[in-house]
Amino acid sequence: MVNRLIQQVWVALLALLMGLSSTWAASPTTGALTLKGKMKVGVTLHPYYSFVSNIVGDRAEVIALIDAESNPHNYQPQPNDMKRAMTFDTLVVNGIGHDEWAFEIVKAAGRKDNLPLIYANASVALIPIGGDQGNAKVVNPHTFVSTSAAIQQIFEIARRLGELDPANAAYYRTNASAYAARIRRLRADFMTRFAKLDLSAFRCATMHAGYDYLMQEFGLKISAVIEPRHGVTPTARQLANTIDAIRKVDVRVLFAEKYFANGLSKPIETATGVKMYSLSHISGGPYTADKFEVEMKENLDTLAEAIDYTAHHPKGG
Amino acid sequence: MTVSSNIDRSLRAQLVQPSSGRLESIVFFLITFALVASTAAYVLLKAKQEGPPPLLSWQVSSFDGLSEVDQAIHSALLPAADEIIWANNDTGRWPSIAELQDTLLPPFYEDNFWQVNGEVQWQVIMPGANKTGEVAPPPPPQSNNGLASFVAPNAVYQGTLGQGTASYYGSGGKAPGQSAYLIVIGHAHSGVYWINQATLWIHKDPNAPFPDILKPEGLVARGWRQIIPYNGASEVERVKGISNG
Repeated sequence: MVNRLIQQVWVALLALLMGLSSTWAASPTTGALTLKGKMKVGVTLHPYYSFVSNIVGDRAEVIALIDAESNPHNYQPQPNDMKRAMTFDTLVVNGIGHDEWAFEIVKAAGRKDNLPLIYANASVALIPIGGDQGNAKVVNPHTFVSTSAAIQQIFEIARRLGELDPANAAYYRTNASAYAARIRRLRADFMTRFAKLDLSAFRCATMHAGYDYLMQEFGLKISAVIEPRHGVTPTARQLANTIDAIRKVDVRVLFAEKYFANGLSKPIETATGVKMYSLSHISGGPYTADKFEVEMKENLDTLAEAIDYTAHHPKGG
Repeated sequence: MTVSSNIDRSLRAQLVQPSSGRLESIVFFLITFALVASTAAYVLLKAKQEGPPPLLSWQVSSFDGLSEVDQAIHSALLPAADEIIWANNDTGRWPSIAELQDTLLPPFYEDNFWQVNGEVQWQVIMPGANKTGEVAPPPPPQSNNGLASFVAPNAVYQGTLGQGTASYYGSGGKAPGQSAYLIVIGHAHSGVYWINQATLWIHKDPNAPFPDILKPEGLVARGWRQIIPYNGASEVERVKGISNG
């Protein structure tokens, strides 16, 4: 208790001192930062760590705001997060519902008014969560579980980083283009494999509403989502309704979460006879530059396997 | 006698003046009024500045105003428009459809996404282009008193010439709920320099002809509707009332 109090006082003093030093001052006319050494770029989620690492190369330092093993869906800010936030020159955020805790951390660290935020999704066209959401259109914040929307975020981040650090703007953009080309190649390779598969029997449900952008870009549709809201476990009635919907539209496969196990997936598999697969939300494990590409490839392999299953196991088969 | 004197003394009324001069009620009223007024002003002003502007009659939201197939194509067109503009900035020319396909760029690249979403046929229309060549230039007017007899070769030429506008036009899609699509890339004045800026349009007829004018009022008159992307900036503005664009 005493240790925690001392830690909080220390954090507050540090915030005051760093605020006075105003090392984050941006030029009032250009928006460029006055940097002393390499720019320190904070990120809130794993995909953004990969995106920024590939954009900045060795010309900036990439720092994750929260620990790698934290669950971003129900995260409670920790004192260490505030200490990290105090050191950032800028912070890349999802900003549309997947990292609201980041704004609490920034505020608690005393950086609300002097930390430039990069909203990765500023120019990404958002789509609603699929499945039956009670006729409501709810924004899906998982734009990073995709290739096209990911590329758009990469370019937006590169553009904003270039504004903050003009000396390296061209370098960031070149790297962003090369990275985007690799991701697009990943998509094209999958599409080649995908083209040989029969899609007519493919109907899926997902435990988590994280895959609408991924499915949309491959021309696939999600028939049902088990979670009634982002990260919320369904009630018994909601679950019964979803199971009815799965049976009604003959859903053949259920995509569960790789990182966030949900105890309901097995009972649903048993109750409906669907085949279960796991997709990665790209939100767990260590932060690495190649995480997005590695886990997106795994996702595409899993998707192809699921489509192949539905093609070879028709209803009742 | 002694008892009576004590009673008289105990019944004597004494008026004590409040040290504040009876201002408590007035001060209390003023504070209450100020609180109510400031709260009301905050609520009214806050409500006015929140959220993106409402759509106009010829506009449609990408979030809840498009069919499934149109929404999928819009999601691909929006980043594609950015890349087309960047390519133009880098090379000074507009990439052809074949070049866009070579870079695997959806929705132009003919993959499963293209097949599932109607197999739309795309064309790039350059500024001043004679797109089809089907319409021969009409003869110059006889009574032009010797003035320049410049005549536009066809409607497409007229639609693009002088507007500094390049466009990418998609039609012939076969999916249910399919529209025709148009990326219009014009020049916008931003501060002290010119930049390319794209707007996306749809027409409910998937075989709608290429419009003979690319200015907004002309497109609207010909049944085209502008797609307003509901993007992350719009969502942040709706939820938090701040612009981050």
